[in-house]
Amino acid sequence: MKKFVSLLLVLAMGLSLCSIAAAEADGKITIWTWDPTFNIAAMKVAKEMYQKDHPDVEIEIVEKLSEDIETAVIASNGDTSTLPDILLVQDNSFQKFVTNYPEVYADITGQYDLSEFAPGKVAYSTVDGKNYGIPFDAGTVTATYRTDYLEEAGYTIADLTDIDWDRFIEIGRDVKAKTGRPMLSGQAEAVDMILIMLQSCGASMFTEDGAVNFVNNEPLREVLSYYKQMVDEGIFIEVNTWDEYIGTISNQTVVGTMTGCWILSTIMSLPEQSGLWGLTNMPKLVASEGATNYSNNGGSSWAIINDKDFDLALDFMQIYRNVDFYSEILPMTSAIATYTPAKEGAAYTAGSDYFNGEPIFATIVEYGALTPSNITGAFYYDARRALATANTNYLHGGDLDSELQTAEDTVNFTMGF
Amino acid sequence: MNEGAFSKHATRFLMYLFLIIVSLISVFPLYWAFISAFNNTQQILGGAMLPSTHLIENLKNLFAQQDVFTAMKNSFATTLLQTVLALAVSSIAGYGFEIYHDKWKDRVMAVLMLAMMVPFVAVLVPLFQMFSKAKLINSWVGFFLPSIATPFLIMYFRNSARTFPKDTIEAARIDGLNEFQIFVRMFVPMMKPTYASAATITFMNAWNSYLWPKVIMQTNESTTMPMLVANLMSGYVIDYGVVMAGVTICSLPTVIIFFCLQKSFTNAVAGAVK
Repeated sequence: MKKFVSLLLVLAMGLSLCSIAAAEADGKITIWTWDPTFNIAAMKVAKEMYQKDHPDVEIEIVEKLSEDIETAVIASNGDTSTLPDILLVQDNSFQKFVTNYPEVYADITGQYDLSEFAPGKVAYSTVDGKNYGIPFDAGTVTATYRTDYLEEAGYTIADLTDIDWDRFIEIGRDVKAKTGRPMLSGQAEAVDMILIMLQSCGASMFTEDGAVNFVNNEPLREVLSYYKQMVDEGIFIEVNTWDEYIGTISNQTVVGTMTGCWILSTIMSLPEQSGLWGLTNMPKLVASEGATNYSNNGGSSWAIINDKDFDLALDFMQIYRNVDFYSEILPMTSAIATYTPAKEGAAYTAGSDYFNGEPIFATIVEYGALTPSNITGAFYYDARRALATANTNYLHGGDLDSELQTAEDTVNFTMGF
Repeated sequence: MNEGAFSKHATRFLMYLFLIIVSLISVFPLYWAFISAFNNTQQILGGAMLPSTHLIENLKNLFAQQDVFTAMKNSFATTLLQTVLALAVSSIAGYGFEIYHDKWKDRVMAVLMLAMMVPFVAVLVPLFQMFSKAKLINSWVGFFLPSIATPFLIMYFRNSARTFPKDTIEAARIDGLNEFQIFVRMFVPMMKPTYASAATITFMNAWNSYLWPKVIMQTNESTTMPMLVANLMSGYVIDYGVVMAGVTICSLPTVIIFFCLQKSFTNAVAGAVK
């Protein structure tokens, strides 16, 4: 028995020696991010550009899913020794993680020039007036429509530019009658569209002091009433899954789609629809104060981790303030910048063949700069889930006041109030 | 044909019909994943049920995006080693609990059984903290340690040890064998079917394990097949053809192992229920 136990111990020691652990070395930057065709591809370009001037710096890009990065931060419990130098954070989760793990994320206020990034984007990674994130890809909302279907109903892209939701519903009704197609589609219970509409006037699910704000939120009431009207009239169709939503675009069952500009990668992956799409801004709310034709959905930002090689990481991240960098990554990733000067880059000013030669990327950067900011807070996803339930019940005949009250109570319960 | 025989045939017909329908429903996801590896995203989202001609393209994209060979090598190496270690450690533990049985060991076993009820997610953070302090992050020892002695396997070997004749042990002791020799020379050869069943279950679990490996291993070089498949679903644009090609490649080893050891797997499941 002793021999066997000794054998096991020797085996365990042997395995320890084979450990692939690497000690934290100076002059090395480790980055965690996801998506080889998007974030990782962009980071590889940044790595190449940086290493041209700094050949001694070792940069390792590790592929990790967004949820796995979040799990690792939770598991670290504030001990940054098990985390990389830089990691990517979903914009909607940024404030939650900075609030829950303040010791993990480095405060870059005053140390990184964020003045030329879209203010709406910077707000996602700002907590209590301090900046914790370097903005990356834009989730700027674009309204993209099939021009052939619009033409069939007697409209052009210009008719859908700078309009409000009343006019949109009017056109949508007409297009539906003439072509049989709904204008838009979206995933039921994902509330993407509702939050896009809400942010377009600078409103949020929370007040500035972090309290949940459903019952007395007039813009939200206006949004929900427009949304219900569109669903009831068949101008907006709800589908159950993300795959079905993508299917409505690829199978040509809808006239258009209105979401973050990252959807362009999906649209442009359909060569048979080339030249058939037009892009413009979204409709604005009518009654709400501060209404604009611009909003945001999705996107992510880079965070530098505390107690690591902060100066080196910060120096490396200056690449994200380089116009040429954004021009280089655009054709290969379709990642659109939130760094406003990027719109002067060669790739941005060039027209897109897919969109009939229109310089859509420069247009999107301009939209991004005009997008109002919103408050996400630490309980964003809890509020989102509660709002989804309220909206579903409202669509099925529920009373709006009591549904909003229930949703607000649910979020307050989660927040511990 | 009399009425009784007719009713017997009708019952059998209905039973077979039910089983055929249930089998088709069970096999369908596997069939669909396999067929979809031959199709592109549009065909998959359009609900294509027959194979098309995009397999090579999907595989080419898969191999261009991900290091499949490294993931396959890691999956095989970790799964085989984990299976061997888990069987060695858990069988000794199960044997010990039964053969050197007393009331205190029963109580320890009860605690172990309780541990089986706690979901892994609940112990993830403290476990990670422990391993971090022991400098076992990014190490294969850290990777294997939590899974080489599982309450389920210990219980399974303990139950099997109950059928091991005590007279044999007594006879072996009289013949001069020590306790370890009895285990290796008498118990292990007699319990080969138990080892085969336990190996099948452990292999499947180890091959499909995701959460712990993903948390403890933090480099690209330590990616396993389930991690690779998950990585394919991370983007704004998901190429479902590539995902399904990845799923098919990832599923093949477990499908092959299952068909080879089907009988022992069935025994294992039946044994666990007993």
